[in-house]
Amino acid sequence: MKTVSSLLDEHWYERYKQISKLNIRSSIYDVTDRCNLRCKGCFFFSSGEHERASEENDVNKWHAFVDKEMDRGVNLAILIGGEPTLCLDRIEAFYKRLPTFCATNGLIKVPRDRFPDMMVGLSLWGDEEDEKALRGKDTFKITSANYAGDPHAYYLYTITPKQLGKTGKIIQKIEDIGLKVHMQLLSNDEDVAGFSWKPEELIDVRAEMDAMLDAYPKTVISSKYYHQIITTGQMLDRTFGWMECPSVTELIDKREPRPKRLTNFIRWASDLKTVHRCCTSETRDCSTCKDGAAHMSWVMVNKRAHMRSTEDLQNWIEVYEMFAKLYQFIPW
Amino acid sequence: MNVDISQTIIRIAEIIINELKLEDVTPQTFDPDLDLVDEVGVDSMDLATIALVLRDEYGIRIDEDDYPKLTTVRIIAEYINTKLADDE
Repeated sequence: MKTVSSLLDEHWYERYKQISKLNIRSSIYDVTDRCNLRCKGCFFFSSGEHERASEENDVNKWHAFVDKEMDRGVNLAILIGGEPTLCLDRIEAFYKRLPTFCATNGLIKVPRDRFPDMMVGLSLWGDEEDEKALRGKDTFKITSANYAGDPHAYYLYTITPKQLGKTGKIIQKIEDIGLKVHMQLLSNDEDVAGFSWKPEELIDVRAEMDAMLDAYPKTVISSKYYHQIITTGQMLDRTFGWMECPSVTELIDKREPRPKRLTNFIRWASDLKTVHRCCTSETRDCSTCKDGAAHMSWVMVNKRAHMRSTEDLQNWIEVYEMFAKLYQFIPW
Repeated sequence: MNVDISQTIIRIAEIIINELKLEDVTPQTFDPDLDLVDEVGVDSMDLATIALVLRDEYGIRIDEDDYPKLTTVRIIAEYINTKLADDE
């Protein structure tokens, strides 16, 4: 029988042991249905999810809800939108109780006196040109001023096909302001012309992501195995899709055979009652989904499948470490 | 019901081997003191699956809060035998 220690040397075994008992149990929460941007390709608005539920406005109910979530075993709250920072009281209901991550466009600065160590993920969709085309304004100019040097913030850089050959310039700018960056790929939910991935572009972007990791190892939080998975949709001998995705809301997950999945994962709408199908748009075709968190989780829940060789298990460790860093379970 | 611990160990090892589809090991050769997380690579979903089988096999409920403590086959066997003795 292959054991972990038989596959890893001492260094890698120590890295494994650092993460093996973390037992992260995340769920995702829509904090509000509103946003102060309307980005072309935003899954939340393009799929009508902002109209699925009416926001719960009583903050006391948010506090009670978070208590129930903790009773359910959740130990990581991932707050998404609309734009969570429009509702700081609701964010506080989570932050006061459990490890909390807030995804934001960064236009409103999270007050650090109120949320001193909350991890903030700043969405970025490319250079000035792409940002203006897709989001109506160059957000980097504002977010870099708001968060320069913040040890609890990083950029979630959504790479588009138009960014090929240009990612280095952006990552250099991020490094210059002392922040980290994690790369993911646009899924182009609204079919904006020129922003859908062609097979040859996915090959090129994988090489470019690898090159960025090599060139900026202290700034880029990533792994080459993650780049491989997200650009090919292939892991070991399996193909990503509905029957493989780990990030499906547990309450509605009737899949048979039951795939390896995130334990107790639910994505809640902002009425605190409605649930969404998964971590991203319900209207998205799972076979072309490029969601970074779903692909990371796909690797993470399939640990033993990666125990077939030393290289496979090391790949698994690197992806798990990446996730653990992005959500502050281990240091950068 | 007083169950011999060695019998319980063999049966739990058999369940784990079957559920996790482990290769090159038998219930008799499975080291009962091997750390299931650190060495076998068991995760929380595996433990939940194993707990369901054990529940059906032994008629006991394994509290989810107890999962982190159940780190080896021997510890699981002792846990089950204690539960069975408590139920007598």
